[in-house]
Amino acid sequence: MSVADQSGDARSESFTSGLSVSDFAAVLAMGLEPVGLVQGFCAMQSSSYAVGSLQRNLSPYREARGYVENYQCPHGMVAGEHRMWGQNYEQYWVEETWNQGFASASARMLDEATRLGAVGVMGVVDTQSTLAGAGVTEFHFRGTAVRLAGTDSAPSTPWTTYLSGQRLLKAFEAGFAPVSIVTAVASVRVWAYCITEYLLGGGGISAWSQDASTVEIDQVVRAQSQARALVRASARAQLHGDVLQGVDLIATQHEYEHGDIEIQCLLRGNRARRVGDFVPLRAPDATVRLS
Amino acid sequence: MSAPFDPTASDARELVRTALASGAAERATGAATTSDLSIDEELNLHAIGWESVELVTGYSMFSTPVGLWSWGQGEIVAAAQAHANAFRMAAARISDEAAAAGAHGVVGVHVERAVHPSYTEVSLIGTAVRPIGAGRVPATRVFASDLSARDFARLAASGWEPLGLAVGASFVYAPRRTMGAVLQQQSQNVELANYTEAIYSARELAMERMQRAAIDLKGTGVVEVKIVEGPMAFASHAVGFAMWGTVVRLAGSSHQNVEPTMVVSLDDAALAFDAATLE
Amino acid sequence: MTDHANDLPEATEHRLEELEHGLFTSDLSVNEFLLVKEAGFHPVGLVMGSSIYHTGIQTRKWSQSQELTKLTEAMYNARELAMNRMEEEAAELGADGVVGVRLDVNYYEWGKDAAEFIAVGTAVKAEDGVSRRNKLGKPFTSDLSGQDFWTLSQTGYAPQGLVMGTCVYHIAHRGLGQTLGTTGQNVELPNFTQALYEARELAMTRMQDESARLGATGVVGVRLEEKSHQWGSHTIEFLALGTAVTKTGEPVTLAKPTTIISLDN
Repeated sequence: MSVADQSGDARSESFTSGLSVSDFAAVLAMGLEPVGLVQGFCAMQSSSYAVGSLQRNLSPYREARGYVENYQCPHGMVAGEHRMWGQNYEQYWVEETWNQGFASASARMLDEATRLGAVGVMGVVDTQSTLAGAGVTEFHFRGTAVRLAGTDSAPSTPWTTYLSGQRLLKAFEAGFAPVSIVTAVASVRVWAYCITEYLLGGGGISAWSQDASTVEIDQVVRAQSQARALVRASARAQLHGDVLQGVDLIATQHEYEHGDIEIQCLLRGNRARRVGDFVPLRAPDATVRLS
Repeated sequence: MSAPFDPTASDARELVRTALASGAAERATGAATTSDLSIDEELNLHAIGWESVELVTGYSMFSTPVGLWSWGQGEIVAAAQAHANAFRMAAARISDEAAAAGAHGVVGVHVERAVHPSYTEVSLIGTAVRPIGAGRVPATRVFASDLSARDFARLAASGWEPLGLAVGASFVYAPRRTMGAVLQQQSQNVELANYTEAIYSARELAMERMQRAAIDLKGTGVVEVKIVEGPMAFASHAVGFAMWGTVVRLAGSSHQNVEPTMVVSLDDAALAFDAATLE
Repeated sequence: MTDHANDLPEATEHRLEELEHGLFTSDLSVNEFLLVKEAGFHPVGLVMGSSIYHTGIQTRKWSQSQELTKLTEAMYNARELAMNRMEEEAAELGADGVVGVRLDVNYYEWGKDAAEFIAVGTAVKAEDGVSRRNKLGKPFTSDLSGQDFWTLSQTGYAPQGLVMGTCVYHIAHRGLGQTLGTTGQNVELPNFTQALYEARELAMTRMQDESARLGATGVVGVRLEEKSHQWGSHTIEFLALGTAVTKTGEPVTLAKPTTIISLDN
């Protein structure tokens, strides 16, 4: 069913939804009603593979943008394979690709929701699939559009949230109104200089000297910490004073070849606005379930 | 908050309607916070007078000497050192970040650890928390705990407080059997005493290190100890043991009983028939 | 059981010493910890026992269903050793019992036909100082979770020990003629039925014998596990496990349970 067909049906009795029965019950209890399953796609060409190998031929002193950190070899001895310098750099072009993919796909989902006259989209699920080799990443968002029961028109841009059903109701009860889903990405590449390369390969300390002190690999630790800081800063910049709840932060590390590491941090969460005070929970009853 | 928002309204419909209306009408006024806690956990935390402040992380990677995992005897000391150091640094960093955000502790710490042939890495992610509106404390007094916010709240309600993570790990080479022994034992059912001893002591070492860490934190107990053990994926003749848990002590004068009641759930048990155990 | 049981490694002694000075460790969840406290016990430490056993071969007759007594013995002794060592640790801590016992089997690549049997649990001690050890004067053991342990304490029963019975059985291969004869038919295979039945009976009976030795009134939470370990599909170990319990003089505090429907997803 195309978007156009769906919006034609919006005022009829039938609807589609990705909600479970208990979530559906919660939606009704909240005075909302589902109007349809909405989704948005966007496929982006990601150029990270090509650019990654290009970087190596660039000077460490190229124009800095985003996070860049240089590591200079302290040895001064020159051999063809000796890595005289190393660099941690933010792959802002990868981040831009992802951010645009997220933005386009979610805008399309919102567009569908708006056409259905929805006030919000709940139970959002997002997936990113990479067609490796082709260098294409596909972004996909879907969720259930809802409107206020008995109301036809939506006043403004629909809100979005990963929460659905009872959990969303609890958020309302806790004094929060959903604003939007938040996605953020950080991509940092590590091009190891001689010392990092040496340590990643198992250092040079003999395994047989039992008191050998182990060494922290500073360059990678810096890159990992920066990637985590960048992704959180990017999410924070989207909050405008609201709170971010239920955050999921996933950090992955991929070593393309020895001493060439890509770190990606992906963050998603729910931006919510405080509209009332927390009402303290009644002290919970401790129970033991007999089965 | 001029909108007539009444969270105690018995009618959920009215509550949602007013919340949405005031959400759309007003701009945010408070300080932005980030948290990976679920809404249930936020509520649990609030019930004991704490709040979430910020999502915090700690990461460390330590190099281990080349050739470490090839055949040898006894404990692989450097591997245990790298593991301990990586944990210590990652924990220190997550506490630093939490202290900088004005928090008193980190709950729900998600522990990821990986032992590679030439390096060991530890990644910690959790939510920094503090008693509502409380002031700053130095990083050394900020605890990191892998207990969920719910469990943290439950422990606090019973009079206990977390002090930090205690970790212990050890790696050993499996002892070799001589050819004679192999032939002799081939058709026998016997205990391999030297194996038992090697594995046993390695596990004991890991436990002992975890306990030492707990004592150093002035704890009186370690709860929810996780145990990861088994042969290393890249070197099957080496066996690794790692265990960690949250160090706790009684904060008040005595333990508060929870006095549970028994309940019978009317939910359908989601039981699948397991052909292997016939259960 | 054997003379191995009394010599705990040196590292263990040191670790246990720390535990005696007031620190406890436990793999119980927070909920279980609170319920163990509720039942009037305090955790004193994570205890374990381990035994690496070489389970050799035993000649099997292709066409005959029979118990492989040597293997049965090996499987039993290995677990018994692990359990005894765990009890030993608990006794050293002055514990009254061990809850949440898990019995695991690990296989290592380097040890062909060698398996490690491990028993891990949390040693507990009664807070009122009255000994709750079993008839044999040893700490009781139990595979009950913290929740079940508390519930059991409400019923006026006390655990005595984790009891087990095992039986390794070889199930006959069928002759080629028989296989052809029954291909495409839905028929009962009497030798299979008979063999499985007998093996389970043996395991259960042995478990009950253990419980009788503890003077128990009954066994709760019995599980029957079937494992082929590394012997191929025709040789199966049947393992019966449960917690032997006796009635205590303590008053039954069992309240009428409330019925609920959980709204959790």
